[in-house]
Amino acid sequence: MVSILNQKSIIIVSSSVESKTPKAEADTQAHLHERSRQGMNLKKVLSQFGPLIGLVFVVLLFIILAPSSFYSFYNIKTILTQTVIVGIAALGMTIIIISGGIDLSTGSQIALGTVVIATILNMGITEAGAASGGYVVLAALGGILACAVCGWIIGLITARFNLTPFIVTLGMMQIARGVAKWIANEQTVATPVNGLQGLMLLDPNPSWMVFGWGVWITIILLILTAILLKYFVFGRHVFAIGSNEETARLCGINVSKNKIWIYTIGSLFAGIASIMQYSNLTVGDPTAAMGMELDIIAAVVIGGGSLTGGEGSAMGSIIGALIMAVLRNGCNMLGVPNYVQEIIIGAIIVGAVLIDRLKHRIK
Amino acid sequence: MKLHSLTLLFSLLILFSCNSTSTQEGDGSGSMQIAVIPKGTTHVFWRSIHAGAAKAAQELGVNIIWQGPQKEDDRQMQIQVVQNFVSRGVDGIVLAPLDDRSLVPPVQSAVNRNIPVVIIDSDLNSDIYKSFIATDNYEGGKLSAQRLAEVLGSKGKVIMLRYAEGSASTTKREQGFMDTIKEYPDIEVVSSNQYAGATMEKAFQASQNLLNRFPQVNGIFCPNESATSGMLRALQTAGKTGQIKLIGFDTSETLLQALSKGEIQGLAVQDPFQMGYLGVQTVYHVINNEPFEKQIDTGVTMVTAENLSEPAVAQLVNPELDKWLDE
Repeated sequence: MVSILNQKSIIIVSSSVESKTPKAEADTQAHLHERSRQGMNLKKVLSQFGPLIGLVFVVLLFIILAPSSFYSFYNIKTILTQTVIVGIAALGMTIIIISGGIDLSTGSQIALGTVVIATILNMGITEAGAASGGYVVLAALGGILACAVCGWIIGLITARFNLTPFIVTLGMMQIARGVAKWIANEQTVATPVNGLQGLMLLDPNPSWMVFGWGVWITIILLILTAILLKYFVFGRHVFAIGSNEETARLCGINVSKNKIWIYTIGSLFAGIASIMQYSNLTVGDPTAAMGMELDIIAAVVIGGGSLTGGEGSAMGSIIGALIMAVLRNGCNMLGVPNYVQEIIIGAIIVGAVLIDRLKHRIK
Repeated sequence: MKLHSLTLLFSLLILFSCNSTSTQEGDGSGSMQIAVIPKGTTHVFWRSIHAGAAKAAQELGVNIIWQGPQKEDDRQMQIQVVQNFVSRGVDGIVLAPLDDRSLVPPVQSAVNRNIPVVIIDSDLNSDIYKSFIATDNYEGGKLSAQRLAEVLGSKGKVIMLRYAEGSASTTKREQGFMDTIKEYPDIEVVSSNQYAGATMEKAFQASQNLLNRFPQVNGIFCPNESATSGMLRALQTAGKTGQIKLIGFDTSETLLQALSKGEIQGLAVQDPFQMGYLGVQTVYHVINNEPFEKQIDTGVTMVTAENLSEPAVAQLVNPELDKWLDE
């Protein structure tokens, strides 16, 4: 996480030396990398671990206040499983937000995904009344594909016509929701018993797995996203575009092409989240995940993502999602009414952005 | 350094909030904990269930924990609330499921941990729960159709504004209405495929659109409180109350006033107070291994301006909520 944030500062610095050749630029980057590492002081470490500190703090608070069942192993499993959907979608959102964009259609895309999955599953009903294996895989891929197409369209329109993603994704939010209701015939789509339904179980089937499939998939995706952002050229371009789009363009980055990829990959994660959502609901639900995009964006922001772009980390976003899940679960354990939970979560979102601002002032 | 003051603020907030609730829940140590989970918390209907549950809790000496999904009508959130209560290890759960299939896995995990579940209001597509306490919704739809036919003189154009996709209880009401209205050859259903949506705001918009599209309509049926409220408001803003006959479902203060003013011609009224009361009572019997009923119908009454003053009806539409909910 630390070095991901480092990169960002390098790219900002490198934008001032844009006249150099890419080779020379890379050398300068490496040099600056070294220097900025040395320059790290305690304050910066603290501010970068802010989300983690927040999580530890919230957990400790509930350990003190809530009944002992809060830190039972079963409840830890519950919290982790409840983080899966928002967490996976937040990984995709992280990439989008780092690039200076936003995606308001994620919730609708997830709903569309569940409906597509359920519809494909229903095509493959065997005589025994269960979905056949091939169709289960096809359904999962179909859900991901449906979302990816949404993302591709968003990226294409945003890049080619230079529209703000806020408006384009606001439109897609309605379109994807409408298409989902259309495919589902304005009903929830019932599905036969199948393997996908077991992904989000609290007690996984082979019990040696300890956590359900969903939790493991989230961890794997977290690692992949962190690697993508840190070690791949694409990841560096995402940071560059988010830091300063014009400069990135002048540096020779194909911003349009990258934007299409950014939104497509972001929606790919929404597609995977929709599989988890389907697994949880066991039906295709065109009204699912209404407003979930706000939770997802909040997770990224709490985790250190900046809506002005150029900042954010995969780990931070997952921690952001965890903080919200812990808060909901803990408040539930305490019997705190819903409105108090909403007030607290709202306060934390604003607080996180406030801390982010202070962090900049320290720099 | 500011970080510390912020965290301090949050901790104060949380501390404050649990102080305020711990007084509400009572000390509760040792006594039985029963979770009551509604579909939402803002409708008057759920307040009545809460009051009924509170009454049962007081009589039986148990603690109830009242918690709905954080986002109203969000299946995912309700699943999480059930999971959290299972995690917390309550003694029993009374649940009004938002979806007849999606809530099966969390209820299954409750059953796996030996927590008995009683289902109220809407059915669950499974037989793992102990008891089902609800209104016969189909019958309610049938009553509404009969009442609408009666006020229309068995002829005219009617609209049915549906509630929301996938809600089992309202779907049955809609089915009961549609099946019965067919028996009247001179009544034509001009629209029955529009949905009001979960909130009154959305219902209001859908209603306005419908009224603009079908200006010649004579009667309307709405299958729940928010849809009825939205439609009533749309009729009021269009100045068509009274001309277009409206039959609604469930009650609220606004709807009852409209009923006595003649803006609504009938309200099919359930008995949510009884539902909440019997829900807690039944789960209590299950926990104590006492005999209980597997299925209970709490009944529907057609309330009109004429019978509103009858004592039984008055008691039904105006249960003493505040007596039991001393918040």
